[in-house]
Formats: sequence, structure tokens, C-alpha cells
Amino acid sequence: MKVDNSKEWHWFTGGILVSLLSVATYFIFAAIADRNYPFGITAGFGYIAAFFGNMFGGLSENPVIKRFGEKPDAFIEFFILIGLIAGGYTASKISGTLSPENIPAVWEKYHGKSLVKRYVFVLIGSVLLGYGAALAGGCTTGNILQGWAHLSLGSIVAGISFFAAGIITAKILYPKLGGNDASN
Amino acid sequence: MLLINILFGLVVGFIFGFILTKTGVTKYPRVMGMLLLKDFKILKFMLTAVTSSMILFYLLGDFGLLKVVPKNLDWGKLVGGLIFGTGMGILGYCPGTMAARIGEGKKDSILALFGTAIGILIYALTIKPVKSLFLSGEINGDISILLGINRWFVIIPAAVIFISIIYFVNKKFDDNKKIF
Repeated sequence: MKVDNSKEWHWFTGGILVSLLSVATYFIFAAIADRNYPFGITAGFGYIAAFFGNMFGGLSENPVIKRFGEKPDAFIEFFILIGLIAGGYTASKISGTLSPENIPAVWEKYHGKSLVKRYVFVLIGSVLLGYGAALAGGCTTGNILQGWAHLSLGSIVAGISFFAAGIITAKILYPKLGGNDASN
Repeated sequence: MLLINILFGLVVGFIFGFILTKTGVTKYPRVMGMLLLKDFKILKFMLTAVTSSMILFYLLGDFGLLKVVPKNLDWGKLVGGLIFGTGMGILGYCPGTMAARIGEGKKDSILALFGTAIGILIYALTIKPVKSLFLSGEINGDISILLGINRWFVIIPAAVIFISIIYFVNKKFDDNKKIF
């Protein structure tokens, strides 16, 4: 299966731009909020979780819900989340890659067209993703893009764990591509 | 202040999402290609960002313009990291790229957004045992303090390692090879 990558930016361009964004964000944050803030995404999801926890669960006294519900970080990261959606939309619109799809094409090729099957996997995967990000104190953005740049020992352990478990999971889902056989 | 926070979040998110989508790191085959150790564009992108921002952060830190605060190490980083990695492998994307994918029109990422929030809710419900099991006994996350050396003795070797990895995978693997 060939994917059209002709409209993509070079990895170096993207990488440098992200680094400038990280540093600028940190810098501006220190100025407006008087705090050291490596931007992340996880707390934005935490803000949504806190919303539902307060609405339906009566979890307002729970320390995690309290933190995500009241901390300014989480409020800002909720809007980072909204901004990400708008940014993804705009970039794909401009490059003509806006492609509504229910299931990734590669998944469909190897695991079938069943929407229910993919959505069950998505639900399990995303619950693990949320739980893991909360426990590890950040996702790929917070722990690798920011944490590795800060040479945080905690983030280095977290990031290596992301890859270790991700590599094993990918091998289980796509066993035929493993090893040195690149013929398919 | 409220309005500034909202605007700030929206702008940062927009730029970040634009870069992620434009660089192609939100693509399912790219993420799975990386985890299958066949497509390293995302790794090169991440390590470029990490190396560049690491040097910028610490340079600006040395000039007294900002203060870097490394994250501490506890068992949650390892256990949470493994749980997160399993989820990322099943999904084929992570929280940031998930949001950008929603903008691209990828419908399964909308479900994933709610799943991620549910995951955090479950975390909140299990915080008591989790806290005593994994989140006690932190170790200071600043490697240069742990080793008792000047931080540039950590930064420069780290930069050399990251750049070497970029160089190696760039030479050995083609970003546009057919994998699936």
C-alpha cells in the first residue's frame, strides 16, 4: 500500500519548527503566568475528564479531578487541544489531504473492514493511552518533545517505555511485517 | 487573564497541529511504520525537535532568561509509560496527533478523544492505590545534579547521541518505502 507523501514537509523543517514553538511557549508562559511551563496535551484531556467527573460522577473531591479541573494548565491545554484540531484541519485543507475516513486504510487491509472491531480496539487503546499518560505525567509531547529536551530522567524512562511497549504491540498487530522481510 | 489563556492555548495548539499534520507525523502508516522499525521519519522529526530545543533551553537558561525544571523519576513513569505505549500501538497515534487527526477528518480519533478522557477518569478513581504503589519515593530528575557534573557534560553527549541516531536511521532507511 502506497501512501502519497509528496506534500509533506521534511522532518528537519518540522522538527526545528516544533523546537522553536516549545521554547517560545515556555518563554511566553514564564512572562504571562510567571511559571515554568513545558506545554503538553495530557492535561487538556484531563480537563475534559474533570468536566465529566464533576458532571456525572460526583468526583469533585477526587484529587486528580480537582487538579485537572482547577489548574490553569489544564484549562490552557484544553484550548491547545481545540487549536490542534483547527491546525490539523487547516494544514490538511491547504495541502489537499483532508480525507474523511472511518478506519485507517492500513488497518483495513490487515484487519478487515469491520467498524465495530476497529472501534473496540480504539476504545481499549485510548483508555490505556489516557491512563498511561496520566500515570506517566505526560504523553509524547510532554515527556519526549519537552521532557527529553529538558533531559528529565523521569521523561527519558517514560519515553523509552512508550517505545518499548509500542514496538511489542505493533509486532503483535502486524506479525507478518516483522524481522528482515520487507518484501511485502 | 482568562482570555489570554484561551487565546494562547488556541494559537499554540493551532501552530503545533499545523506542523504535525504538514510534516505527516499524524499518519497511521507512519506511526505504525516507526513502531515496526521500518519508517523513521517520526523519530528523526522528534529527535531533531528534542536536540534543537534542548540546546536552546539550556542556552537561554545559562543567560538567565528561563529556568529548566526536569521531571522527577518515579515508578509511574515506567508503568504509565508501558501502558501508554501499548495504547499508542493499538491506536496508531498519540494524544497530540489524535487531536490533529480529528481536524483531518479521521473519525476514529473522535472516539479516541473520549476514550482518553475515560482513561484519565479511571486513573482518578484508582489514584489511592496507584499513589502508594507507584508515585512515592521520587528521584530527582536532573541528571547533571544526580551525577554532580556541569550540565553541558550531559547536554553535549546527549546531542551527539541524538544526532548519531538521526544520521544512522536516515542513511539506512528510506522514508517513502512501501511497508504495508
